[in-house]
Amino acid sequence: MPRASTILLVVCILGFVFLYAPILSLIIFSFNESKLVTVWGGFSTKWYRALLEDPQILGSAWISLKVAVVTATLSVVLGTLAAYVLTRFGRFRGRALLTGMSTAPLVMPDVITGLSLLLLFVSMEQLIGWPAGRGMTTIIIAHVTFCMAYVAVVVQSRLADMDESLEEAAMDLGARPVRVFFDVTVPVIAPALVAGWLLAFTLSLDDLVVASFVTGPGASTLPMVIFSKVRLGVSPDINALATIIIAIVALGVFIASWQMRRAARHG
Amino acid sequence: MSGLIERLPPLRWTAALLRRLGLRGRSVVIAVPFLWLLVFFLVPFLVVAKISLSEAAIARPPFTPLLEWDGLRAIVTLNFGNFAFLFDDPLYLNAYVSSLRIAFVSAVITLFVGYPIAYYIARSPEGRRSILLTLVILPFWTSFLLRVYAWQGFLRSNGVINNFLLWAGIIDQPLVMLQTNFAVYLGIVYTYLPFMILPLYANLVKLDESLLEASADLGGRPAATFFHVTLPLSMPGVIAGFMLVFVPAIGEFVIPELLGGPNTLMIGRVLWNEFFSNRDWPVASAVAIAMLVILVVPIMILRNAQAKTEES
Amino acid sequence: MNETLTVAAAKPWATGSERPFVRIEKITKKFGDFYAVDDVSLDIWKGELFCLLGGSGCGKSTLLRMLAGFETPTSGRIEIDGQDMTGIPPYARPTNMMFQSYALFPHMTVEKNVAYGLHRDGMKGDEVRDRVADILRLVKLDAFARRKPHQLSGGQRQRVALARSLVKRPKLLLLDEPLGALDKKLREETQFELIKIQETLGVTFIVVTHDQEEAMTLSTRIGVMNAGVIVQVGEPSQVYEYPNSRFVADFVGTVNMFEGRVSEDEPDYISITSPEVGGEIYVGHGVSCVLNQQLWFAIRPEKLRVSRERPEKEHNVLPAVVEEVAYFGNLSVYRLRLDTGKLVQATKVNLSRSEEDAISWDERVWVTWGDTAGVVLTQ
Repeated sequence: MPRASTILLVVCILGFVFLYAPILSLIIFSFNESKLVTVWGGFSTKWYRALLEDPQILGSAWISLKVAVVTATLSVVLGTLAAYVLTRFGRFRGRALLTGMSTAPLVMPDVITGLSLLLLFVSMEQLIGWPAGRGMTTIIIAHVTFCMAYVAVVVQSRLADMDESLEEAAMDLGARPVRVFFDVTVPVIAPALVAGWLLAFTLSLDDLVVASFVTGPGASTLPMVIFSKVRLGVSPDINALATIIIAIVALGVFIASWQMRRAARHG
Repeated sequence: MSGLIERLPPLRWTAALLRRLGLRGRSVVIAVPFLWLLVFFLVPFLVVAKISLSEAAIARPPFTPLLEWDGLRAIVTLNFGNFAFLFDDPLYLNAYVSSLRIAFVSAVITLFVGYPIAYYIARSPEGRRSILLTLVILPFWTSFLLRVYAWQGFLRSNGVINNFLLWAGIIDQPLVMLQTNFAVYLGIVYTYLPFMILPLYANLVKLDESLLEASADLGGRPAATFFHVTLPLSMPGVIAGFMLVFVPAIGEFVIPELLGGPNTLMIGRVLWNEFFSNRDWPVASAVAIAMLVILVVPIMILRNAQAKTEES
Repeated sequence: MNETLTVAAAKPWATGSERPFVRIEKITKKFGDFYAVDDVSLDIWKGELFCLLGGSGCGKSTLLRMLAGFETPTSGRIEIDGQDMTGIPPYARPTNMMFQSYALFPHMTVEKNVAYGLHRDGMKGDEVRDRVADILRLVKLDAFARRKPHQLSGGQRQRVALARSLVKRPKLLLLDEPLGALDKKLREETQFELIKIQETLGVTFIVVTHDQEEAMTLSTRIGVMNAGVIVQVGEPSQVYEYPNSRFVADFVGTVNMFEGRVSEDEPDYISITSPEVGGEIYVGHGVSCVLNQQLWFAIRPEKLRVSRERPEKEHNVLPAVVEEVAYFGNLSVYRLRLDTGKLVQATKVNLSRSEEDAISWDERVWVTWGDTAGVVLTQ
């Protein structure tokens, strides 16, 4: 028995080393003086300076952030509606279709999503003149379409766990359905809404493939810029960028878990 | 919010359409996500299907229309040549087969790596569980592209691994790891590991400890308990995790592009090149349609597994 | 004359003089092919504390939810205080409901939970505060107004739920297993509190419960439900002493049941031949039945007397052996095997603290009962 658990522990430790070693090496070499990413040439922060002076990176980061914020917000609205409809509305015409459409984007390969949306936008432009050209708007629409599916999954499981008699009680006490939703449902599922927002935000910020298809001139997102740099070969400033992103994420996760633990203590 | 509705024509149209149809209350709540997904998820596939049946042309957009109006009647020109082309050129068939193989092997490896970790976390004391789980999810929140990029630095001939092995004297010349299928497997296992661990963990943590105790009490050794009790009960988690790795990996583009070599054939990459390099939109569409057909079966399996998990 | 009047006022259902407050007319609710409630009609009068009693899945909760408006009847209609409820949504009904899970809003304090319904009626400021304070005082929770639900004990939560559903002064209060989540001791205390509150406020209560003791203690009348149908409606003593079917006799309390056939049918007595008794059962009143008809004789354990000596009686005396004696403190339960092999149960109140000479295991005894102590059931 102790032998089995020891093996398990070792596998687990190796698993975490596997997960974190590449990330650690990114962080370490972001402080490397040398341009060679893998040879240590002394401590330096020059890649961070280079990064902050790179207008292309800063510009695309700004675009990505704007896209991600709008995407996350719209995805939470639409994804929550879809989840609510699927968990609370019982039977209606088109229910099976809605279920399929709201889960299929989860496993749809990015290349297909990207290609199909681009072709849609091109056809729509021919037919009705909108969207005129492609750029941030088309990226946002594409991102919302697959992000809302993730939000729907997260919110749906929370809604399913929620005691439905809470909503019935509010209605029984005289609240109309819209009031019930905002007074009772939203506060109770708030953690799932926050989680869904963060998930959609991350997915949008992270997406390369879909954005590459549906973007237009002048709207390069951060992943697109990173990808073109990485494809060309070694670029230590990307290490610096990665380190900054990791730091922000780690801080965010730390704050979130601290908040959650506090909330759990105080209820 | 209202400003946003004005700014984004699809939302504006939706609102106008709903008003026109006289829909209120419940119907509106259903219609909003329904119409969005219909227009931006389902209709695009019809457009792809349509374009896959047209011919490439030097035009903007670069394909011929299916439907032409010669003044008297509509002429429909359907061109199945793109699909015939997929079967004629072994490149496409090979790419499909190789994508399925790479995705399958990677998913199996991910399962073997992920199961013990998920099991360990699920059997940990409650406080440690959430910390370990956070550690598993944390890399997922950082950029996917950058994590793949990190492996480039690890695997290249003057990368971290080779430098270490040379320094330790285990090898005397660098191993070629980058731009091989090995690197692609590694990349997929690495980036998709959380998708395997999470459903497995969600399943294993619900496993009633008294079942394991009952098995032990009835004389089952740990191995027997595992194979007769734990594993069968965790099958829905295994299937869900496996499919969550297998299905998206089939269409993977970034990993073969950055870690694989020129010989690493994967269908997502073929589609990308067909579209961006050859600018052959009809063939790219045909590739996408063929890919969808292949994906239908595993997606069905996944949905069944999820439905079963929800029931229990 | 005067006496009949008071009786009529206290028990309007007995005379039918008053108009019923709640009228349930031929209500049916189908889920797919399953009849959850099957053609139920029921009248309930103002000020009643009516219990719907039945096992799980008997349709009692569905009936309650149709009164609240959460389920739409497949057919039939419900009238409350003369108003047809068809098509009226839950938020517009003059009813309030106390949920089995209490359904307290977890993100609101006790005070806010209770005030929620008043705010929905457009009530504001001091009036809300006074009403909330009054009702919290009534349920003895004034000290907990600022707490959140998870900071309360089960009993306190139950009282918040009660206060929240009462504060709007509904014409009709619906309670779904109101005491189900409390432990036995608390449940007994709360039963009496519930009756006191109901009498103070004069609100009509409809309570759903699966606990027959609870139904007995609380209610003015009980409706026993089984398989979507109301089997019997009556005051607790009626339902207990005069069950109209084997199901009710068995479901409400404990009963010994003997199957047999009518062998003598006279206007003032009948005789039943029962192989389970090994002879005749003599029933000292007339029963509408025919000769040789199959029927059942039911008798409660407390109506059986057990003795060592054969009682000086002609009828209804059976020899038996004591198989088991279970001591419950206030009473003892005897399980006796008749010579025919049939097991019967008899209870005896323990009057003195120790009975040296109490009847014990394996003794041969005689079981007997009064000629009118049992009930003859034909269905």
